[in-house]
Amino acid sequence: MTATAVRVSDAVKTYGSGDAAVTALKGVTADFAAGAFTAIMGPSGSGKSTLLHCMAGLDSLNSGTVHLGDTELGSLSDRDLTVLRREQVGFVFQAFNLVATLSAEDNILLPLAIAGAKPDDAWYREVVDAVGLGDRLTHRPSELSGGQQQRVAAARALVTRPAIVFADEPSGNLDSKSGAELLGFMRHAVDEFEQTIVMVTHDPFAASHADRVVFLDDGNIVHELLDPDAEGILDTMKQLGE
Amino acid sequence: MLKVALSGLRTNKVRLALTSFAIVIGVAFVSGSFVFTDTINARFDALLGDISAGTDVYVRAMDPEFGNDFGQILLSMPEETLADVAAVDGVAEARASIDGIAQVIGKDGEPLGGQGPPTLATSWVDSPRLSPLRFKDGNGGPPVGPGEVALDVGTAEANEFAVGDEIGIQFNGPVETFTVVGLASFGEEDNLAGATLTIFEFSEAQRLLDLEGRISSIAVAAADGVTPEQLVERIEPVLPDDVIAITVDESNAEQSAEISEALGFLTIGLLAFAAIAVFVGAFIISNTFRIIVAQRTRELALLRAIGATGGQVTRMVVLEALVIAAISSIIGVVVGVLLAVGLQSLLRAIGAGLPDGPLTILPRTVIIGIAVGVIVTVVSALLPARKAARIPPIAAMTEVLSAPTRRSLTTRAAWGIAVFLLGAASLGVGLFLSIDNAIWFVALGALTIFIGISILAPLAAGPITSVIGWPLPRLFGVPGTLAQNNTRRQPRRTASTASALMIGVALVVFVAIFGASISASVAVALEDVFPADLSISSTNFTTGVSPQFTEELRASPEIGQVTALGFTQVRIEDEVQPVTAIDPRTVSGLVSLGASDQDLERMAADDGLLVNRATDDWEPEVGATFDVELPNGAIAPGTVVGTFDADQFGRFLITRDRYATGLETLTDSLVAANAAEGVSLAEAQAAAEALAEPYPNLQIQTTSEVLADAEQQIDQLLAIFSSLLGLAIIIAVLGITNTLALSIIERTREIGLLRAVGMVRRQVRRMIRWEAVLIAIFGALMGIGAGILLGWAVVRALADQGLGTFSIPFGQLVVYILIAAIAGVIAAIYPARKAAQLNVLEAIAYE
Repeated sequence: MTATAVRVSDAVKTYGSGDAAVTALKGVTADFAAGAFTAIMGPSGSGKSTLLHCMAGLDSLNSGTVHLGDTELGSLSDRDLTVLRREQVGFVFQAFNLVATLSAEDNILLPLAIAGAKPDDAWYREVVDAVGLGDRLTHRPSELSGGQQQRVAAARALVTRPAIVFADEPSGNLDSKSGAELLGFMRHAVDEFEQTIVMVTHDPFAASHADRVVFLDDGNIVHELLDPDAEGILDTMKQLGE
Repeated sequence: MLKVALSGLRTNKVRLALTSFAIVIGVAFVSGSFVFTDTINARFDALLGDISAGTDVYVRAMDPEFGNDFGQILLSMPEETLADVAAVDGVAEARASIDGIAQVIGKDGEPLGGQGPPTLATSWVDSPRLSPLRFKDGNGGPPVGPGEVALDVGTAEANEFAVGDEIGIQFNGPVETFTVVGLASFGEEDNLAGATLTIFEFSEAQRLLDLEGRISSIAVAAADGVTPEQLVERIEPVLPDDVIAITVDESNAEQSAEISEALGFLTIGLLAFAAIAVFVGAFIISNTFRIIVAQRTRELALLRAIGATGGQVTRMVVLEALVIAAISSIIGVVVGVLLAVGLQSLLRAIGAGLPDGPLTILPRTVIIGIAVGVIVTVVSALLPARKAARIPPIAAMTEVLSAPTRRSLTTRAAWGIAVFLLGAASLGVGLFLSIDNAIWFVALGALTIFIGISILAPLAAGPITSVIGWPLPRLFGVPGTLAQNNTRRQPRRTASTASALMIGVALVVFVAIFGASISASVAVALEDVFPADLSISSTNFTTGVSPQFTEELRASPEIGQVTALGFTQVRIEDEVQPVTAIDPRTVSGLVSLGASDQDLERMAADDGLLVNRATDDWEPEVGATFDVELPNGAIAPGTVVGTFDADQFGRFLITRDRYATGLETLTDSLVAANAAEGVSLAEAQAAAEALAEPYPNLQIQTTSEVLADAEQQIDQLLAIFSSLLGLAIIIAVLGITNTLALSIIERTREIGLLRAVGMVRRQVRRMIRWEAVLIAIFGALMGIGAGILLGWAVVRALADQGLGTFSIPFGQLVVYILIAAIAGVIAAIYPARKAAQLNVLEAIAYE
């Protein structure tokens, strides 16, 4: 259980140039353990989303390295990065996770279909059962509730058995009950399927589902908690805020 | 509000450019056709004024209201008229001239001019005041005796004739040889719009043109203090019947009107293409604004939320349209002027040069051009603008973009069918009822049918793209599936984008069907009506087949039966009727007229007429007698002695003897001949060709050569029409580009998501490309459907005018679909690149 899924070393990321330059990451170094559920927290502008994007191969660093397993992302072409995302990374975004013209089932199978790969039927059933969408698979996204849509997205993130799933405020747009269901499912995926998940959130309740919480502020890691609960997270946030 | 509207424009320059293009093309055609015809008219007016400067009154034979398709009918008067006119008080000078047709033979032995401008002959008028012709220094002088000719400078230069050269010229008989003694100019001009002009000495001209003792016209100069009007009044009493005097202004106005009329088809043609371009453009403009409004729903709702009224929002969108329209229309007018310049060069290139002079750009041209562009754009944007006003302020706050308010399917279907039927009715009225301005009903009907189909198209868009797109998921996986799905997600958008293409394709298909049907009908007609082995005709419009040649042919041992036909017109009871002059004694077996032998015999015996059984609205009884007036004014009573039924020969058949009455120069339109018994077709053709050696204007063709010739001519015409209609298709293709580019902006997040979960750029491009191809094929299919419908209706309507066979060129239709597919691929290049280059992070970034 000590294997590392993602390793970030001295990550620096600057947007813009000259006077308008904003440094989002100021030399972040962190390991994210395989089979664990890690939450990244921090106020707006702390660099948490940037860190997630750079780890997922959606954005590139100015300096420093990101290793996804054994692969160093900085050396990959756009095409290789795309294939890497397809095969090794799952995504759950805050919203607009699904292709409107495809059914729930087709959305779940989308990464496999893009790759032209056959789904593993048993695994697909297991994932679908776990998210509890059984009878709504033929529906279009517009016919699903927000919670159902996010669970479809989660199922899609898992179906390729990725090395790591990145989630960006996955429950941010959901009511508390749907949010709790989704987070419960993510926890379940870690516990039952040994899925590695890294989630960005600013919601202490969401972060409390994680095994570990990393706090970012102004482009640096400033704190971390293991096996957190919501109150502990809130306390930490208050302390950091002062 | 203006500021908001303008900022909307600036945000997407490509969209602006693509939308503008449709307007620019339409406006360019409108203003270009005006500039072109205005310029031509102005220059000819100037030239006419120039060359008639010294003349006050013209005396000429009265113009009959009809002409002959196969040889201009030239009128004449007795030579004595000149002396009578010259003796009138107030006439300072009067000179007669002889006018006719002469075919100049080039140095290569081929006739000059061909099927283009006229080949004129005239007599030299020895009066500096009254003659329009001048000989510049070094260009020789006028012809003074037999065997001498002067040429216009333009023709001489173009064909390398110089003073002293021998030149072959053909009149009614074989080619005769003359010596070039001078090169004449018209005032400052070297040439008259590409016409060839030959000038002969007066009595030589009379002899050559078979006008001994006659003259064609008299130019009169008034004495000082006498106005042209006064002079006309004084001259008229001394003139014979059917000869009139008119002032030079009237004469110039008449000729100017003739030129305008001759150019009329060009103006109408150009304006028709302008209308098509504008109509197609309207679809694209409307579609663009609909998408823009949809995309800016939140922004517009925000404006509403902070207090803008619905009317203000509408005005803002209309204002945006107005700015685009104004800019594009001005560009369109400029392009139109360039188009006119291009057309002139084109005319010069095909040998019909115009007199030199400045371009005529009337205020009317600019006003109409800009008005068309602005009105069409604003009207097209009006519906989307009204829709913008209905966006509720709450849309600013809600996450989901408001789904387009969709009219119920049944309402749409009912509307579409109603509009379609209205168009079909208008088309039917125009085609099948004999009314005035039928062409407008046809055009309006076609237009309305297009609108009807485009209303119905959204209903068909889903099912049809599913069917034509079914191989895509199998061939291309997810990109294929998504391409197919994307055409269905906004059926209205897909449909109106495809509808723009439909119009161009429908018209091209219509033209193709029309051409194929003409070809097929010609083939059938030739087979049914023209059993003769050989047909002999002139290669140009202005000369015919010399009777002398016909006699030589008849005498040839290789040739059997020979008959001659003349296509002309007569006036019977104040109505001008197309008729064919035949020789009833020799026509049987060579041309199947559908007349009984007895009727032909009666016709020959009594100089009778046969009436066409097929004509319905005015059918004289057999036995009826009336006055028959020939184009040269000769009138003789004729009796209907029987009937015929081949519909290619006009209303009546008259005898060739009657046709020849009072006609100084009889030439036939067509001569039909059979090979003599035991002589092969090739031998007979060779023999006829040998006899035709002195008649370079003649072509001797077998039936299959005639058919091939006709088909080639039809194909050439179709190629011209199709390439002009191709413009409408290019506009429509830009419409596809525009729609896709806008759709991609809308789908930024989705494309970002697809890229995030592993779609490579190539797959993104493929997805967009196939969406474009599906839209294009959908449009092409609708166009083919509409085109077949139009073609069928028009061919049916013209069935009694010789268009008996309806033919669909299936091979060509397949080619059109392929072209549409390729057009789709091209249309997708820009949007596909744009989509593939989307920054994934920006696309998925949450505000």
